[in-house]
Amino acid sequence: MASRRRMLLKVIILGDSGVGKTSLMNQYVSKKFSNQYKATIGADFLTKEIQFEDRLFTLQIWDTAGQERFQSLGVAFYRGADCCVLVYDVNVAKSFDNLNNWREEFLIQASPSDPENFPFVVLGNKIDIDGGNSRVVSEKKAKAWCASKGNIPYFETSAKEGFNVEAAFQCIAKNALKNEPEEEIYLPDTIDVAGGNRQQRSSTGCEC
Amino acid sequence: MLLETNSEDEEKWLAEGLAGLQHNAFFMHRALDSNNLRDALKYSAQMLSELRTSRLSPHKYYELYMRAFDELRKLEMFFKEEAKRGSSVIDLYELVQHSGNILPRMYLLCTIGSVYIKSKEAPSKDILKDIVEMCRGIQNPVRGLFLRSYLSQISRDKLLDIGSEYEGDGDGVINAVEFVLQNFTEMNKLWVRMHYQGPVREKEKRVKERSELRDLVGKNLHVLSQIDGVDLDMYKEIVLPRVLEQVVNCKDELAQHYLMDCIIQVFPDEYHLQTLELLLGACPQLQPTVDILTVLSQLMDRLSNYAASSPEVLPEFLQVEAFAKLSTYIGKVIDSQTEMPTFGTIGLYVSLLTFTLRVHPDRLDYVDQVLGACVKKISGKPKIEDSKATKQIVALLSAPVEKYNDIDTALKLSNYPRIMDHLDNATKKIMAVVIIQSIMNNNTCISTADKVEALFELIKGLIKDLDVTLDELDEEDFQEEQNSVARLIHMLYNDDPGEMLEIICTVRKHVLLGGPKRLAFTVPPLIFSALKLVRRLQGQERDVDGEDVYATPKKIFQILNQTIEALSSVPSPELALRLYLQCAQAANDCDLEPIAYEFFTQAFILYEEEVADSKAQVTAIQLIIGTLQRMNVFGVENRDTLTHKATGYSAKLLKKPDQCSAVYACSHLFWVDDQDGIKDGERVLLCLKRALKIANAAQQMANVAKGSSGPVTLFVEILNKYLYFFEKGNPQITSSAINGLIELIMTEMQSDNSNSVPSADAFFSSTLRYIQYQKQKGGSIGEKFELIKV
Repeated sequence: MASRRRMLLKVIILGDSGVGKTSLMNQYVSKKFSNQYKATIGADFLTKEIQFEDRLFTLQIWDTAGQERFQSLGVAFYRGADCCVLVYDVNVAKSFDNLNNWREEFLIQASPSDPENFPFVVLGNKIDIDGGNSRVVSEKKAKAWCASKGNIPYFETSAKEGFNVEAAFQCIAKNALKNEPEEEIYLPDTIDVAGGNRQQRSSTGCEC
Repeated sequence: MLLETNSEDEEKWLAEGLAGLQHNAFFMHRALDSNNLRDALKYSAQMLSELRTSRLSPHKYYELYMRAFDELRKLEMFFKEEAKRGSSVIDLYELVQHSGNILPRMYLLCTIGSVYIKSKEAPSKDILKDIVEMCRGIQNPVRGLFLRSYLSQISRDKLLDIGSEYEGDGDGVINAVEFVLQNFTEMNKLWVRMHYQGPVREKEKRVKERSELRDLVGKNLHVLSQIDGVDLDMYKEIVLPRVLEQVVNCKDELAQHYLMDCIIQVFPDEYHLQTLELLLGACPQLQPTVDILTVLSQLMDRLSNYAASSPEVLPEFLQVEAFAKLSTYIGKVIDSQTEMPTFGTIGLYVSLLTFTLRVHPDRLDYVDQVLGACVKKISGKPKIEDSKATKQIVALLSAPVEKYNDIDTALKLSNYPRIMDHLDNATKKIMAVVIIQSIMNNNTCISTADKVEALFELIKGLIKDLDVTLDELDEEDFQEEQNSVARLIHMLYNDDPGEMLEIICTVRKHVLLGGPKRLAFTVPPLIFSALKLVRRLQGQERDVDGEDVYATPKKIFQILNQTIEALSSVPSPELALRLYLQCAQAANDCDLEPIAYEFFTQAFILYEEEVADSKAQVTAIQLIIGTLQRMNVFGVENRDTLTHKATGYSAKLLKKPDQCSAVYACSHLFWVDDQDGIKDGERVLLCLKRALKIANAAQQMANVAKGSSGPVTLFVEILNKYLYFFEKGNPQITSSAINGLIELIMTEMQSDNSNSVPSADAFFSSTLRYIQYQKQKGGSIGEKFELIKV
């Protein structure tokens, strides 16, 4: 059972609206890129099979809405994540400043058992824009922040040019794998009787 | 449908649901580990039965759903393995349909369906169609929406590359789009229907729940936007018309607002530009209560940002005549939404203006057109007083100023002042400050009288009282405002003296209407601006003699004189006096004796009639003496009259020490250290002797009144005057007189040690040091100073 669980690695991508979360995922999963901005609504995932240390894993990559108004159902999907990817746009200072909020929000909502050591990866995206002339967050500054949060691995990426995307997700997968999942050890206290009772309770009226 | 719940109950129900789910998941895992398909299906169906609950709010239901969702991934993997091992997916697909309850059955069907599609054992089109049809079996909105969103989720990656990998015929994209559209339509129906279910008293709760569920519906649009094959043509021909049809026909306020927002956000800018008419055309058809303002604003904001992103996209905007379309439809929307509040109307124009400024920065006529349209819509309505609308108007008026960084351009907009007229007085002031700040920040120079006229018309809120009841304005705010007007006056400039004079006259005209409180702030900068012009003309006048010159110093001085007079209403005699003296000095430099004399006369009249405070008198007389000393334009007679007055008033000051210092200051009136300055040594000495006398008297008075003589400071000061004139070669000032004075001071200091003042002592010893220094210099000065004994 444990082995089946470990074959699936759940990764959540967070960050401000417009930093390129969807583009990074699309570039990684299907090697496609579109310059057009399309907002994401709610959350959903794409999967990618990866080979790692001679084992096959399925990476379940959750792309999320950066705009709060498109996250109306909350963030129940954070639960059980093996790694959280924080993305910002190197050309937008605010998106970098907000990383802290995203990280904290994630730790609160996902409440991993060992928040200190929960694996994050930070991506500074859009380094291609204007040949890097319009960037406002330096690599040094980003790395310093990552170091201060328990040495979060940091990558500079360009979803547009596919630069560093593969390497970043390799690292994401590696860290996700290292994360010891909280195996909820479930032992049924009463065998099956409860199940039968529950069936009764659940059927409230209609049969669907 | 929904029972009255409180959150405590809900937590309990959720916990129960989760426990049941976990329980069955445990047995499902066991069955999976031992490859027991039958048990696996049995327990997964029981697990999924937890989702049949009606007791949870969407938020809580989502938590439960996510757990089930995660568990189903394990089941899916098992199915995949089974398929790899050679099991028939079709058989599995059939098998799960034996599950008793429809909801668990549908979840299982979707799960196996995803594997089925991947196995390519049947065309994905048929499988998806099959499932999406069967989903109709769930008519409970919450359960139905979640089930369908599950279907959408598990089919997501298959849709993305449908047509290439999973489909044989060329209609892959169309099939994918049809599938999503169908799911979207059904979901929207479920969602809208929810509005009508359940008792009326729970309406508020339902709105909240529907609002939580909205992303499930909107998600479909996101999926559509992510399908590669949905190019502009397909978007224009199929996707957008079908989505809009659903939006318009559902006649549901919440759905319409949200879905319009979604359309705008999830599809790319290029698509919007090319389908503007379709999209905008839907707006007037929406329910009148829909917050169309936000929707359209968001559209225009998006397009504005797009236009700003790169100059290369601008031709697209021109090609589709985006501006014309937007302005037409905004007009239509405003007309159709009769209940739209004023701030909404203005807000729409703010967005349109922002758009125009970004896309057509060169088309000032468009900008004016937008403002004009806005004026038309708000005219006839009462003056705008609610704060939201006011805020919007300020935004509307600030936008062009900020964009062009130049009020000059805004002044060309004919509708600009017409909008200002709709503001209440407080807002007019805010706007005026915005305008002035823009001028200051950008160092904009306003260079013609016409523009100044227009500008002052715009900022009249600061220039004069607009309502009868002068509102109890915070004093500090008032000063801040008036100081900004003062600063503004310095920004009005033209190189041409004639135009500059026009500007000054225009400003004067407005400023003089400001009432006593403002004049004290606005007159000085006006005077100095005019004096600056005088300085420019100074000496030029003769060069252009004969020509009909409009701007002459004489003329300007006349204006100045009249302007300063206005301060009498404030009244502010000290300020007026200073300004007269400034003018006198300028007239002196222009060699205009009668005018300079007139200004001095005015200054003296003020001194006599208005300056009553003794401290103010001291300052005033010192200023008069100082200015008079610098005058060289006066003939003997005029000069005598004026110096006589000055010395006379000096000696009449109230306090002896003040008298003393004013009188010794007068000594300079008779000794101007210029080449052809007056040098009347005798009268200098007279002044100094008089000053000594007064100092003596002051000392004695102090003795009588306080029992001790005052400090010797006055004597030391006079000594310094002696030394000055001695050094300048005034023959009346002798070394013996100086020696006598030094002796006097020393005696005074010794006789009254108790009364020594450190500063006076220091002053005196510095003076002595100076004498020593002059002695050591040698030469003629050194020789002269040798005669002084220290």
